[in-house]
Amino acid sequence: MRRFLVVFVVLLALAFAFELTPFAQAHFVTPWTDAVASASAGLMRTFDATITTHGNVIASSTSPFAVSIEAGCNGVEATLVLVAAILAFPAPWPHRLRGIVVGVVAVQVLNVVRVISLFYLGRYDRDVFEWAHLYVWQALIMLDVLIVWVVWVRFVPGNREASPPPLAAA
Amino acid sequence: MTRFVLRTLAFLPLAFAVWYFAAPILLWPAVLIVRAAVYVGFADLVRAVEQSGAIATFVTTLGAGVAAGKGLVTVDVNLRAYSFGMPLFAALTLAARTAEWKRLLAVGYATLTPIVAFGVLADFLKDVAITAGPAIASQTGFVPWQRETIAFAFQFGSLILPAVAPAVLWVAMHLPFLTTLRDRNSVSV
Repeated sequence: MRRFLVVFVVLLALAFAFELTPFAQAHFVTPWTDAVASASAGLMRTFDATITTHGNVIASSTSPFAVSIEAGCNGVEATLVLVAAILAFPAPWPHRLRGIVVGVVAVQVLNVVRVISLFYLGRYDRDVFEWAHLYVWQALIMLDVLIVWVVWVRFVPGNREASPPPLAAA
Repeated sequence: MTRFVLRTLAFLPLAFAVWYFAAPILLWPAVLIVRAAVYVGFADLVRAVEQSGAIATFVTTLGAGVAAGKGLVTVDVNLRAYSFGMPLFAALTLAARTAEWKRLLAVGYATLTPIVAFGVLADFLKDVAITAGPAIASQTGFVPWQRETIAFAFQFGSLILPAVAPAVLWVAMHLPFLTTLRDRNSVSV
C-alpha cells in the first residue's frame, strides 16, 4: 500500500506538471476542453435548439448566460487522478488499459452531466450554480473516480489471492 | 458495493449541510495554520490574517497603488473552496460503517486541515504575486522561479489536493473495509 501511495503521488505530480506546460495546454488540454464543450452542447441541442458553442464556451441564443469550461471543469484533472491510481496499482497491463479506457469514459460521461447541469442551474439561479460548481460537483466527480477505481481493483486478475497483501498490508 | 455507494450519496447532503454551516468553526484551525505559516515565511508581506465566517482576509503590507501611496491591499480567500473534500471524506467514512468511525473522522479532519491551509495560502500568494498585476506583484519581491512555484502550488492546491486528498486518505484509512467489500462482492457476483 505504501508503494502504491508513493507511486500514485509521484505519477500524479508528474502528470499534473506536464498538464500545465504550454505544450500540453495547446495540444491536449485546449482541444480536450473544446471537445467537452462540443459534446455537452451536442447533447443539449437534442432538447434545446438554442444552444451554441464557441471553443470552450457554451451559450444560448435566448439567454445572456453562458458557461466557459475551464481547468477543473474539463475532467482532465479527474482523469489524471484515475489514470495515476490505475497505473500505480499492481496489475497486468491489459487490465490497466481496459480500466483506463472504461474509467475515462465513466468520468467524462459524468463530467458532461456536470457541465449540462451547471449551465441550466446558472441560467436560473446563480447562488445554486456557485454551490454546485464550487463544492458539490467537485466532490461528486472525485467520488466517481474513487468508485471506478475500487471497482477496477476488485476485478484485477488474481487479485482475490493477491489483494489481501496489496490492500491490507498497509 | 452498490449499497455502500447509495449510503455515501445519502450521507453527502447531510455532510455538506453540516460542513457548510459549521465552516467558520471547522475551518478556524486551518486559519490558525495559515497565520503560523505567514508569521514564519511571509511576515514581510502580511500584517494579519483575519477570519470572517468562511472567508480568510489577508491584510498585506503592500500598497494599493503607486500614485495613491495610501491604503493596503487586502485579499479575501473563500475557505470553503479548499475544504469541500471534508464532507466527501465524512460521507465516505459514515457510509463505511466501521466501528471506529468517530476516530477516523477526527483523524481525517486533523489530516485535511493543513491541506486546506496550504490551498488557502497558495491562493493568497497567487493573488498578490500573479493576478493582482505588476504594480502589486513587483512589491512582493518574488523572482520568476518563485512565481512559477506559486502558480504550480496554487493549481495543485486548488485543482488536485482538495478533491484527491480526502479520497486517498479514506482509502488509506479503510483498507480492511475495502478488502471486505471486495470479498463480499466476489461471493455475490
